[in-house]
Amino acid sequence: MSNVYTPDLMEVLEVRRQTADVKSVRLRFRDEAKQRDFSFRVGQFGMFSLFGQGECTFNLCSSSNWKDFIEFCFRRTGKVTEGLWAIDKNDTIGFRGPYGNSYPVEKWAGKNLIFIGGGIAMPPIRCAIWYALENREEFGDITIVYGARTVGDLVYRNELERWTRYDRVRVVSCVDPGGETADWKGEVGFVPDVVKRAQISADNSVALVVGPPVMIKFTLPVLGQMGMADRDIYTSLENRMKCGIGKCGRCNCGPIYVCKEGPVFTMEQLKRLPNDY
Amino acid sequence: MSEIISRESLRTMAQDWLQQGGRVFGPVRMESDLVLYSPVSDPQQLLLDGWIRPANSIKLAVLPRHEKLYEYRLKGREVELTPVDLPTAPQLVLGARPCDAGALPILDHVFNWDYRDEPYNARRQATTVVTIACQGHDNHCFCTSLGLGPDASTGSDAMLVDLGDGTYEVRLFSEKGQRLFAGKTQTSQATGQVPSGPENILDLDAIHRFLSGGFESSRWTSIALRCLGCASCAYHCPTCHCFDMVDTGGLYGGAKVRNWDACQFGIFTMHASGHNPRSTQAQRQRQRIYHKFHIYKEKFNHWLCTGCGNCTRNCPVSLGIRPVLESIQKDFQ
Repeated sequence: MSNVYTPDLMEVLEVRRQTADVKSVRLRFRDEAKQRDFSFRVGQFGMFSLFGQGECTFNLCSSSNWKDFIEFCFRRTGKVTEGLWAIDKNDTIGFRGPYGNSYPVEKWAGKNLIFIGGGIAMPPIRCAIWYALENREEFGDITIVYGARTVGDLVYRNELERWTRYDRVRVVSCVDPGGETADWKGEVGFVPDVVKRAQISADNSVALVVGPPVMIKFTLPVLGQMGMADRDIYTSLENRMKCGIGKCGRCNCGPIYVCKEGPVFTMEQLKRLPNDY
Repeated sequence: MSEIISRESLRTMAQDWLQQGGRVFGPVRMESDLVLYSPVSDPQQLLLDGWIRPANSIKLAVLPRHEKLYEYRLKGREVELTPVDLPTAPQLVLGARPCDAGALPILDHVFNWDYRDEPYNARRQATTVVTIACQGHDNHCFCTSLGLGPDASTGSDAMLVDLGDGTYEVRLFSEKGQRLFAGKTQTSQATGQVPSGPENILDLDAIHRFLSGGFESSRWTSIALRCLGCASCAYHCPTCHCFDMVDTGGLYGGAKVRNWDACQFGIFTMHASGHNPRSTQAQRQRQRIYHKFHIYKEKFNHWLCTGCGNCTRNCPVSLGIRPVLESIQKDFQ
């Protein structure tokens, strides 16, 4: 009998190189019935196995409306991701999930949405962006601020352009000073400064901010100055995990297990937790 | 009036269990000064007295140090998974201490909240635990502070109380215990005597109150200064249950296994980016104390500790739960 740690097998449909060290992967369950019955909520994550190398935690960065495949995105940085770098169409990957809580998109209905991301943190925002665009009438204005160190480090760069074509969507992309190219038409500056310059209205808004700790640290005061309350600012934590189901004992922040009670938290919730992330 | 059994009958009972294909765990002398719980193939190996407590714990009977979760075989671009049979072979633990048995009902919570851990539960259900009441303790024991004691019944299916003449009073606490001893005991006038155990020295509610506000206390740094980060405390603990999951194997196949892991290692929480929420030993010591006396209490309403003292007994620098909690308590009384 299989146990709770046994993954389902998925076929690699497509691998796309996003940057020099980031790839995105589309997967489909080898079992058709599993593919048909699978559902998740944007913000949830999965445990992905490259057999022989190990298992990694990645956000499901496709929209929950997409029924033909799921997608994840990784940076080549360790043993498993080094192995993943070599995978190709038709290869097999193991999947456990979906795990964790999700973005409360029902609560966001009728609100203006502000998405702020940095670097490799685009994938956990991208699923929510597509979800919002596909349910466009449920939400107000959408503002997307996305930055990376250099133009070459922007993940899902081709989609930034596609998003601008939707009604009442504003995309502000930026690169760190020195990271621009001659033909770069976006902003140059660090994400917190770009958010400040963008003059985004905080009225009736919720923000989803995901990125490196230093970006979040300096962006939060900007959102505060804009008048946003901590309870309206969401983020997704990415603590190291092994089991994903609240047993292996490493992802906790105080009494909160990120794998079960997260990864999505409001800043109001985070401020009540010990600084353990 | 009591039911009694002789030491030789206990060995016969273990022999019967082995002959029926079951496994038997119990205290075994490994070296002149080292007694460990171990699987036994011969009941004569069982050392039923003459020690305070073994250096390890019986958690190895329900959460093995190394356990296969499934096998994989690589076939070109396809992968074939083979499940591992659930470990349902009957297991008898003969000669546990109450501070070992007491850990099992505590561990049941984490292995069953929301997601059921099938291998753990299968072993747990297949295991009958017979404890021996303690006739002595050492300076590291503090079970009474955790609400246990030399003859605490928590987690035991049956308990033996040494009558000093090669026989034991048998106390039965569960159906498993009744089944095990049915027809094997004699009625006697003798009843076992059990000492009161170590003094109850800790006020855990006060410690919990300190922890509620003590996360940023500078005390964690001073506590951890002498800690070597070896995680001996966690490996010898009956309640520490954190694990790692890794792939082992070669080019064509292998297995996903889980191994015991410990919060005292730096890599335990290190992110792929290199960021580490617990990059210092102070943060890791703090996590161990919080997990046991705050987090687990908040989540499951149990202390994640039985007061066995193994953490200190096996620590190269005499740290461990009791000295840390005593120092916290001393400063905050």
